[in-house]
Amino acid sequence: MTVTRRTKTASNRLQGRDGLHALLFLSPTLVIFTTFVIFPVFFSFYLSFHQWNMFSSQTSFVGLANYSRMLRDPEFWTVVKNTLVYTLGTVPLNMAISLLVAFMLNQKVFGKKFLRTAFFAPVIISPVAAAVIWRWMYDPNFGLVNYMLSFAGIRGPNWLNESHSAMFALILMAVWKTMGTNMVLFSAGLQGIPDTYYEAAEIDGAGAWTKFWRITVPLLSPTTFFIMVMSLISSFQAFDVVYVLTSGGPLGSTKVLVFYLYEHAFKFFEMGYASAIAYFLFITLIILTLLQIKFMKSRV
Amino acid sequence: MKKLVLCALLLGLLLQTSCGKKEEAAGDGRTVVTFWHSFVSSTVPALNELIAKFEKENPAIQIRAQYIPTGDALIQKLITSVQSKTAPDISWVHSDYLQDLVEADAIYKMDDFIAGPDGLSEAEMADIYPALIQYASWRGTLYSMPMEATNLALLYNRDLFRKAGLDPDRPPQDWRELHEYAKKLTVDADGDGIFEQVGFSLPVFPATGPLGGWMVWQWLPFLWQAGGELINEEQTSVLYNSEAGVAALRLWQEIYRDLKLSSYTTDYDVAFASQRQAMALDGPWNLPRYATLLKHFDWGFAPLPQGPAKKATIIGGEYLTIFKQSKHPAEAWKFIKWIIQPENQAFWAIKSSYLPINHSVLQVPEFQSYLAAHPAFKVFVDELEYSLASRPIDFHGLEITRHVAEALEKATVGDQDPAAALNESAQKSNALLQSAAK
Repeated sequence: MTVTRRTKTASNRLQGRDGLHALLFLSPTLVIFTTFVIFPVFFSFYLSFHQWNMFSSQTSFVGLANYSRMLRDPEFWTVVKNTLVYTLGTVPLNMAISLLVAFMLNQKVFGKKFLRTAFFAPVIISPVAAAVIWRWMYDPNFGLVNYMLSFAGIRGPNWLNESHSAMFALILMAVWKTMGTNMVLFSAGLQGIPDTYYEAAEIDGAGAWTKFWRITVPLLSPTTFFIMVMSLISSFQAFDVVYVLTSGGPLGSTKVLVFYLYEHAFKFFEMGYASAIAYFLFITLIILTLLQIKFMKSRV
Repeated sequence: MKKLVLCALLLGLLLQTSCGKKEEAAGDGRTVVTFWHSFVSSTVPALNELIAKFEKENPAIQIRAQYIPTGDALIQKLITSVQSKTAPDISWVHSDYLQDLVEADAIYKMDDFIAGPDGLSEAEMADIYPALIQYASWRGTLYSMPMEATNLALLYNRDLFRKAGLDPDRPPQDWRELHEYAKKLTVDADGDGIFEQVGFSLPVFPATGPLGGWMVWQWLPFLWQAGGELINEEQTSVLYNSEAGVAALRLWQEIYRDLKLSSYTTDYDVAFASQRQAMALDGPWNLPRYATLLKHFDWGFAPLPQGPAKKATIIGGEYLTIFKQSKHPAEAWKFIKWIIQPENQAFWAIKSSYLPINHSVLQVPEFQSYLAAHPAFKVFVDELEYSLASRPIDFHGLEITRHVAEALEKATVGDQDPAAALNESAQKSNALLQSAAK
């Protein structure tokens, strides 16, 4: 009885002056969050049914015209296709490599801490700076990549200027850039698996492969699921690296959804149309995430 | 309670500083005129000298120049500033964006000042190259004033010309020679099918990228040289898919294919500086850089080769606008008027290597002696006589430029038929023009 009463008084007090204090301390964040996150979310939803060029103070209502224009634009579907190619290229490759690296770094390796830092380093480099460096590395005449390949007697392509190699070059760089985060997450997951399971399996005579497949993979599945959802979302939102590395070219082969959105918003100032694209992206991502949750629920 | 008051005060202070109005007075009683620009960093010292000269002659005014990187960022910042009522007094505006600013009623007409008490005479206006005036206008009304001019010429490596058995004093005169020289100057020393050195390069970039418009800008002289035009005078349909357009694009396609430019770098200045490229299209703004960068060999500039129809090159420049939100439009105009005076244009051209905007600068003695001492710069100045400006497109200018860029990319990188690529692009552009006419 006493216990409940005490909690009650505490919560009463929190609603009083303490609550005000708390609100006051939270207010800067709340103001910023409302202005820059909540408001734009609703405003862009409103805009997606309007036409607005940012300069004029008036917006004109156009109904679903922005959405129907989007669905009828052949370029839009090319862009969706490119985004899918990019996602299917980066996500599995990224997850496989980061799991492999995390797994190896979880063993007794010499210079483990150094290696982990080295693998993580690309994450903290500014994406634009990294893309500029990779652009030089991909240069057909002066670039490091083709120079290295020439030792193996391979004549590398003009990576960023040929439709069939540009997307691959982009994916390669994206994996390099984002792998570190996933590696750290996988490492944390791996360290959370108690050694006792492995010991028990060893006593039962299980080999390395069986242990990995029967113990590591299932026990890691919550981490795997989390990483998959996050990587999927971020690869759908790829922009900065695309902008600097290929600018959507050559011949539009690396133009992805957010780049297309950026163009319409900040080059042609069609804020309404850009908002419609943004909402398409938002709804697609929600559906994909819900599907993943449904599909993975039984296994996680 | 005390704490609460203190917190509220701090919060108020925070909001005050973040939303506070910009500082107006210079502190010494001078009127401050803010000026936004995107000059490349190598030009900024020259700009500072120009401003210092103005402030010395006009002690009541202080010019506060602010650098905003690249044209794209500048226009985005201008939009927000107009909306939040913090627009600068003067800003650089690219012709493509005049429409938006005029429709938002954000900028003054230049005639408001030219016809005013401290205006410009008809002779002074006629002294400015007409192509620049055309480009600074939107739908026939002058909304901006050119600050300097730029055009394109042919940069070439005289040493490599000698090595290939060509006369360095006779650069290519027409398209046929350009193509021929380009092939002669292309070298595959070890016979593996890869060119170690190319004779020429074309500014081919992704149409969707920030350099797409830049590619079109450099293609337009070729279109004009063949006798073509981008758009008709009534602005009802585009004309770049004409025979002239096809010829100009076919030249690009053939050079691109013959020199295997698809597997060559687009960083032409790096290739040129390392003597692995013999010719390039380039502008006067690079002259200060080249004076130090290209010291180790003999190079020069030549006028653009002549096309089947005529001699032509493209003129561009940066244009100054005065914002209606400005509290000091008279002082802002004073600065602009001062800049376009021939003696100040001469000073500015000599310091920055940009080209003057008026004919009479050629009579300024300092400028004449500078030209005599700088033959490379003189090539650009001589070209001014036949430099053309692209006809401004009133509506959907950016989208139409994009469609032209797509055609250029398809014919070069994609190796598609130039006529087909241009027709497809023109169809899209015409659809835009029709929708704007409604």
